[in-house]
Amino acid sequence: MEKFRKPTRTGVPGGIFARDYNDSLKNLVLSQDLEANLQQIKAILDKCSDVIYREFVFAQNEEIRLALIYIEGLADPGQISDQIIRALSLEVPMAVPGQEITKARALEFIKQRGLCIHQLKETYKLQDIIHAILSGDTVLLVDGHAVALVNGARGWEARPLSDSETEPTVRGPRESFAETLRVNTALIRRKIKSPNLKIEALRLGEVSDTDVALVYIEGIVNEKLVTEVKSRLEKINIDAILESGYIEELIEDNPWSLFPTVNHTGKPDRLAAMLLEGRVAILVDGTPVALTVPNLFVEYLQAPEDYYQRFLFASAVRLIRFASMIISLMLPSLYIAVLSFHHELLPTPLLLGMAARREVVPFPVFFEVLITEIAFEVLREAGNHLPRPIGQGISIGAALVLGVVAVQAGFIAASTVIVVVFAGIASLVFANSAGMAFRLLRFALMVLSGTLGLVGMISGAAFIAIHMCTLRSFGVPYLSPLAPIASTDLADVVSRAPWWAMLSRPRLMTGQNQQRQGRGLKPTSPEKTSKGRR
Amino acid sequence: MLKKIAVLLLLIFLTSSLAGCWNRKEITDMAIVLGTGVDWTAEGRLRLTVQIAEPGAFAGEEAAGRGEEATNWVVSAEGKTIEEAARNLAPKVPRNIFWDHCMILVIGEEMARKGTNLVTNFFLRSREPREIMWVLVAKGEAKDFLETYSDLEKTSAQAANLLTRMRTGYSVQLWELAEMLAGKGVQPVVTRVEVKEAGVTPGPGQEMKPPVHKQVEISGVGVFKEEKLIGWLDDYETRALLWLKGEPMEGVITVPDPGEPDKEVSITIRRGSTKVVPEYDGKNLRFAVKVKMEGDMVEQQSRENLAKPEMIKVLEKEMAEEIKKRAFITLEKAQKEYGVDIFGFGDAFHRKYKKAWRELKNRWDTEFAEAEVIIEAEAYVREIGLLSKRAGTPEE
Amino acid sequence: MLEKGKINSLQAILLMISMILPTAVLSVPAITVKSARQDAWLSIIVATVVGLLIAWLVVTLSLRFPGKTLFEYVEEILGKIPGKIVSFFYIWWFLHMNALVIREYGVFLATAIMPDTPISVFHIVVVVVAAYAVRNGLEVLSRANQLLIPTTVLLATVFILSTGNMKLSRMLPVIDTGLLPIIKGAAAPASWLGEIVTFAMIIPYLNRPREAHRVAALSVLLVSFFLTASILEALLIFGPNLTGAWIFPVFNAVRLISVDNSLGRLEIIIVLAWVLGGFFKVGVFYYAAVLGSAQWLELKDYRPLVLPVGIILVALSILIHEGIVDLFDFLARVWPPYALIVFEAGIPLVLLLVALVRGKGGRKNA
Repeated sequence: MEKFRKPTRTGVPGGIFARDYNDSLKNLVLSQDLEANLQQIKAILDKCSDVIYREFVFAQNEEIRLALIYIEGLADPGQISDQIIRALSLEVPMAVPGQEITKARALEFIKQRGLCIHQLKETYKLQDIIHAILSGDTVLLVDGHAVALVNGARGWEARPLSDSETEPTVRGPRESFAETLRVNTALIRRKIKSPNLKIEALRLGEVSDTDVALVYIEGIVNEKLVTEVKSRLEKINIDAILESGYIEELIEDNPWSLFPTVNHTGKPDRLAAMLLEGRVAILVDGTPVALTVPNLFVEYLQAPEDYYQRFLFASAVRLIRFASMIISLMLPSLYIAVLSFHHELLPTPLLLGMAARREVVPFPVFFEVLITEIAFEVLREAGNHLPRPIGQGISIGAALVLGVVAVQAGFIAASTVIVVVFAGIASLVFANSAGMAFRLLRFALMVLSGTLGLVGMISGAAFIAIHMCTLRSFGVPYLSPLAPIASTDLADVVSRAPWWAMLSRPRLMTGQNQQRQGRGLKPTSPEKTSKGRR
Repeated sequence: MLKKIAVLLLLIFLTSSLAGCWNRKEITDMAIVLGTGVDWTAEGRLRLTVQIAEPGAFAGEEAAGRGEEATNWVVSAEGKTIEEAARNLAPKVPRNIFWDHCMILVIGEEMARKGTNLVTNFFLRSREPREIMWVLVAKGEAKDFLETYSDLEKTSAQAANLLTRMRTGYSVQLWELAEMLAGKGVQPVVTRVEVKEAGVTPGPGQEMKPPVHKQVEISGVGVFKEEKLIGWLDDYETRALLWLKGEPMEGVITVPDPGEPDKEVSITIRRGSTKVVPEYDGKNLRFAVKVKMEGDMVEQQSRENLAKPEMIKVLEKEMAEEIKKRAFITLEKAQKEYGVDIFGFGDAFHRKYKKAWRELKNRWDTEFAEAEVIIEAEAYVREIGLLSKRAGTPEE
Repeated sequence: MLEKGKINSLQAILLMISMILPTAVLSVPAITVKSARQDAWLSIIVATVVGLLIAWLVVTLSLRFPGKTLFEYVEEILGKIPGKIVSFFYIWWFLHMNALVIREYGVFLATAIMPDTPISVFHIVVVVVAAYAVRNGLEVLSRANQLLIPTTVLLATVFILSTGNMKLSRMLPVIDTGLLPIIKGAAAPASWLGEIVTFAMIIPYLNRPREAHRVAALSVLLVSFFLTASILEALLIFGPNLTGAWIFPVFNAVRLISVDNSLGRLEIIIVLAWVLGGFFKVGVFYYAAVLGSAQWLELKDYRPLVLPVGIILVALSILIHEGIVDLFDFLARVWPPYALIVFEAGIPLVLLLVALVRGKGGRKNA
């Protein structure tokens, strides 16, 4: 088990609940007396009904008393009975027949030969022991020794790896992160088998004591970035980290902005690609998504699948995604502006047709769109939280019935429904967190365009653009490589450059080693294909 | 920060609700003008007529069952200026008059003789009416023109819009008229429209022939001296006007058949160009006009096989003669009868003799009327359609 | 230093284009065509030469004092008190010019798009957006500008769409009325191109000051290119007589466009491009005024000045002229000599001469 580094606490006045308790534990150590040790631990873990204390004796020497402490449900009962209890209380004589093991030698012997456990650690600090127990490890105390053996026999009921539901792909790996930190780090390690892939461990949250891992590739990542991320993480002083979102809000650059400046992904392949571009990932135990920083806005226009599909098609899809972004942000306000200010923009037949259909609609366009938008958002939110099969049925039924009936009743115009639904669907093309920003900003733009028409809308858009230019994510301008323009990086933004042309990593992010691949990988004639890409 | 944002949001919301009505116009509050016309009344006032669309008639399938609903509403008002007349319209029209989609501006004959500048200034200066609307001069009153309807299109304005857009005759947009009025090198001509009896609309099971109603028709151009109408050119002459102006050339030339002179051959013009070369020695003004035209033979009445190079040569010669003849008729009329330069020879002169122009420009029309004009025509027949000779010609 | 950001040469060029072009495209064609008629494009060439000279002058002057803005080296050249007086006039000039720009902006939107809306609303909107950019510093201003400048491509599309209405013969004859009208017609575009003087506020923040000469020259040339294109667009469509009659000829040229007879009335597009450009035009002068005032008052941070200067700008822009006739008369007759002779060419030239005579500044660090 790797060494946990406890974050240093910087002055938060008033004290968090767990702080005093942790401080009181800090200097406690084990004694040589098993009873006393057990008593001490029992005192700390008082009223914790899930803690199991199992006392037994060593097979060859009954004077050597042993005690196992673990939490039921977190530790693997099979391993404990077979590999620890059975090994120590029964099988030791078979291994060393006739040999007497003294109390003094017991610890050394158990460590070396007695236990059939893959992971073993020694500690004498009570604080570490408690943490180990609570994390699911099994602690073995040996009478007469002031040292505890921490066995990594963890095993709890966890959700198996499953297809990614939030980021589904047609082509490409389907696996996604699970809730267990170790499983997730293993998934990354499976993608990048390099000693340079560093997985640093931290513990955050005074009460929850959550394991957090900092993942990056040494040699590619900018060292300053790692230091910065670490220092921001270490400043966190909160009672619990239940989801990565807690960390995201505590380390982002612009807490007031609607735009997320920390990205997240649930897919190991995408995370690996991000690490290879010089980003740092933060994995949190209990969270099936990894945070990545620095986050650029263009990441929301890129999907992992882009890089597995043929590049020309992927580039076309990028254009569609870009168009969807504009549509989801602006279409309703454009509709309002045109229908209530700039009627001249409509071709004459269309204007006459719309005029005819609107004759029966009682509301001004602005309110009509607003009502429809709100109805759409309500349906969407309801669909999110209902059980999946019911949710789908209800939202489809409600949307269809509501829409059709509202139009037939002359409550809203059909064109309004088209516009609102189209904009709503366009916003789904986005990764969720940026989509949310646009969903909210859409309302702001609608108010502006309802006031000043296209002038208002474009002023709002300029304001948003300026705002996005002010954002930075861990020192990297949010809109790069669009503004400021980094011409070499643009190939992977407005289009998806073919792999043989993506020679370098993003400039602003990587500190060193910007070369991504060798030159001249473009496949050519058949006799030269041996030189081509693998 | 939170407070600031809250205050800002509140401000935005308040201003938006306060100021919601600055320029906002709901479609349902608008009277969409499709065409407009101006007449000069006997009392010496301007009469503005607008053709307003009835939205119900444009609703597509939903309205299919409504049958004989009026597609538009024509309403007039008088005033000393156009704006005044428009204001006087307001009490009659229960909605805001919306000019942006107005397609045509019809000027009544009397109005045109009085002066177009009384009309065009309003439409050029205001923001809503477009500079690209077609300007037409009605033979008779503009009001009558707007009050007709079309069988194929829904309104007379749409019909006129399509007719002018197809450039069946000489068509002119408001800005082009303004440009012609602004310079001295060319005098304006404007499309003439008339209301005439056209075809009928037979319905299924109709015992009697339905009554024939009058429809719009384009018939030549009105000739202006400065902003005042002074005369007309008919369709035949208008064609030659287009050739001499070097406008996009279209039309049909019919010439006698080279083999059997009593039968005719028709050639449609595909493309062409016109070059005007002025010559001036300080006293005598001369123009050499070179018209080059290409066309396709589309119809032949005789049995003669014309698909031979020598026959085509003859055809081309006859075509050139015909072009020259028609150009001369129009030119004569402009020089002798009206005495105005409607061809833009003045601009060509200005380009070549910029110093002399400064002297001549103020009496250009008299100079033009006396100028000698030499017309040369070159004609080519390119295609002959899908037949080489007349079908059904017995073998020799 | 008050400003910590650095911008690169490309950003500087784009910023300078946004600073000059938006109002130039709308106001200059009518003014120039009125006097030079179909030779207006020759006027622009003359104006470009003037613009290049001013650009050279300003950059040469600024490079003698590396790392210093106009307001800082004026004091070094002239001494404390005279320096303060001259820089005070420059602050006034930046404010005055900006107020005019804002007014043009409001007047255009009101006449062309929304006549029922009070123009003060437009003034407030543009100042608020510009203030937000200015408050966030030069880097953000130039980055946002870089992001939004592709809307200029829209203008190019509009130009291509309107070729159908153009006739090359409307440019002839060349030099119709002699050279004097051409020179006269050059005054307005020259005074617009001379706004490149403001570059003196930005040179210290270039990441490669060495390229300043190239940046200034390229900006002037690109602006003249776009200006010529827009003048030709109006001229080739309307001819000299009608072009001179419109107040915003380019706007009217766009109004004629009709794609396939159904999609027409596209002028709102040019308005949007112009509105976006206007934010940055106002933003640059706003920035210059705010930074200059902060240096004049010897403050440590310019941000507290953003709000008061913004309020002054809105008030000034409303009070400065009574109506559109007054405004355009001023722009055509008073503005060119006032801006060109005093602030754009006169003072910088005097400063350079004095600096040379007194031996102030030099190329030691450059």
